[in-house]
Amino acid sequence: MSVSINSTTDFITFSSYPQAIAHIDCDAFFASCEQARDPYLKGKPLVTGQERGIISAASYEAKALGIKRGITLSEAKKIYPGLIIIPSDYELYSIYSERLFNIIRRFTPQVEEYSIDEAFCDLSGLRRMYRSSYPDISVRIKEAIRKELDITVSVGLSLSKTLAKICSRENKPDGFKALPGNELHDYLKNIPLERVCGFGPNTVALLGKYGINSVLDYIRRPKEFAQKILGKIGLELWLELRGVSVYPVSTDKKEKYLSISKTKTFMPASGNKQLVMAQLMRNLESAFIKLRRHSLSARNLTVYLKKVDFSAEGMQGRINRHSSSTLDFTSICSRIFDEVFQPGAVYRATGVILSDIKEGGFDEHDLFEDPVKIEQLQRVSAAVDEINQAFGKHTIHIAASNIIAKKASHPRNNLAWRKIELLKGETFRRRLNIPLLKLF
Amino acid sequence: MDRNNLKEQTVRLEEFYLKNKRMPSYSEMLKVFRFRSKNAVFKKVNQLVKLGLFAKDKTGRLIPAGVQRPVRLLGFIQAGFPSPAEEETVDLMSLDEYLISNPQATYLLKVSGDSMLDAGIHPGDLVLVQKDLTPKNGDIVVACVDKEWTLKYFEKLKGKVRLRAANKKYLPIEPKEELVIAGVVIANVRKYK
Repeated sequence: MSVSINSTTDFITFSSYPQAIAHIDCDAFFASCEQARDPYLKGKPLVTGQERGIISAASYEAKALGIKRGITLSEAKKIYPGLIIIPSDYELYSIYSERLFNIIRRFTPQVEEYSIDEAFCDLSGLRRMYRSSYPDISVRIKEAIRKELDITVSVGLSLSKTLAKICSRENKPDGFKALPGNELHDYLKNIPLERVCGFGPNTVALLGKYGINSVLDYIRRPKEFAQKILGKIGLELWLELRGVSVYPVSTDKKEKYLSISKTKTFMPASGNKQLVMAQLMRNLESAFIKLRRHSLSARNLTVYLKKVDFSAEGMQGRINRHSSSTLDFTSICSRIFDEVFQPGAVYRATGVILSDIKEGGFDEHDLFEDPVKIEQLQRVSAAVDEINQAFGKHTIHIAASNIIAKKASHPRNNLAWRKIELLKGETFRRRLNIPLLKLF
Repeated sequence: MDRNNLKEQTVRLEEFYLKNKRMPSYSEMLKVFRFRSKNAVFKKVNQLVKLGLFAKDKTGRLIPAGVQRPVRLLGFIQAGFPSPAEEETVDLMSLDEYLISNPQATYLLKVSGDSMLDAGIHPGDLVLVQKDLTPKNGDIVVACVDKEWTLKYFEKLKGKVRLRAANKKYLPIEPKEELVIAGVVIANVRKYK
């Protein structure tokens, strides 16, 4: 018997799982959370993002109708008038996200919180403990998530993060794909380069010029080629795609830097400098109201402006001490605004982010500053908060935001259900940290 | 070798502390460590601080961080006996922990309707529902019957499932088609104030 080996059947590696890395990706996460909380929504086309006027997430049923993230609600309604539109409830999504990672961590401590709805986990060495294969362990994780959260995830299992991420997209939604080392040569020949996280359109076009169209084409080329054409990243991806894990599953808690942000889309979009500035100042005030409510103070301010084409530009500024007074930040805010604002451009949203936040810190002052003045500013803030509490938010406001009509900042139909459906003892600001099912 | 040395020096520092009730100054440490240069002392101190055995105060002086023979504080003494109160708190659990065994799978549900009235579950009550439990005979479950969600007793008689209300107004139901159970009720919360 003779064995012929040609280049397309050549194994990349003979071992199945020298290491096992899984990528767990939630299916239409925000929409799925809504459907898990309210089972009447299951199987129905639904989108979230009512409060923004744009779809921020669409259920699979809505996606099947051609309704995608990013299109406006009115466009979506034209496609399907029966579409269910829900205001986003980020509180709910955060609880589900946290629960998701906790469930995965029950199986392995090495879990990377890659985004709100995506995780990588390293399963290497767990086979003996669970007396089952890596695909079986992956399916058990998937099953636990379905059972406990009532949402589906798609799981990819392979030898590196890059390969696992390619696999998780294979059978979405509710999919599972395991790719052991000894099947790499067969599977990757049909995978186009765009599927690799890290290859953008330019890279794909460049590789195309060398006759490289599939992932297999790429890893069949010598290492030196990858390095020469695409540098360090090219080499790293070349290794990852060959089943050599270069990017570790990092368990470092992504430093949760506390920040407070306020952003608001305004309709219609505007190129009027004074108006856009007023919107920005209103956000600045709102952010500081929240900051003071939690007895915090901040030092950094990021301002960003979003144009009608969704492109955004921003800039960060820093003051010389921590402060909780809006007036300490107004001048830096308008200076940044002047830098970022482009005459002629049409804007649809402004936003501010307060960062470098600490608790308390109002009594901090600089050597060259007048402590009396700082004290006075604090008293002004306290008085403003008190008046606004009594007469409505933004009754007293910075003159620069004057041209915006004072109105209820949350039209009731744009509020998340949970902010209206309060339980005894809950307030608009603080609610129980357990999801409330909507069955009755 | 170096480890032994470190251990020995830690012990000597501790002895100094226990004897004098304070940490040595840098010049005293020359003697404690049996060094001839203060620079060597400085390096040794940094090493000990890095290992978390000792700490430095704001002025750079050494303070005991992890002296091996700690003095346990048990609160104020009354009539010569230590108060056990502070020691005991580690064995306590929060109301959350008491009510919830799997926080990842537990949800709230506000009761409406009177189907479980005789079981003491009133409209407006807040029940805790756990999703990953397999219902057992006699459990209260959240079930979907004829596209309506209700709370019922889950009963299994000779392999047949029956849902029974805790209210004579409602007849027991024997689901014909597939029965969907969203979870098992593990607690009921009624807040009066």
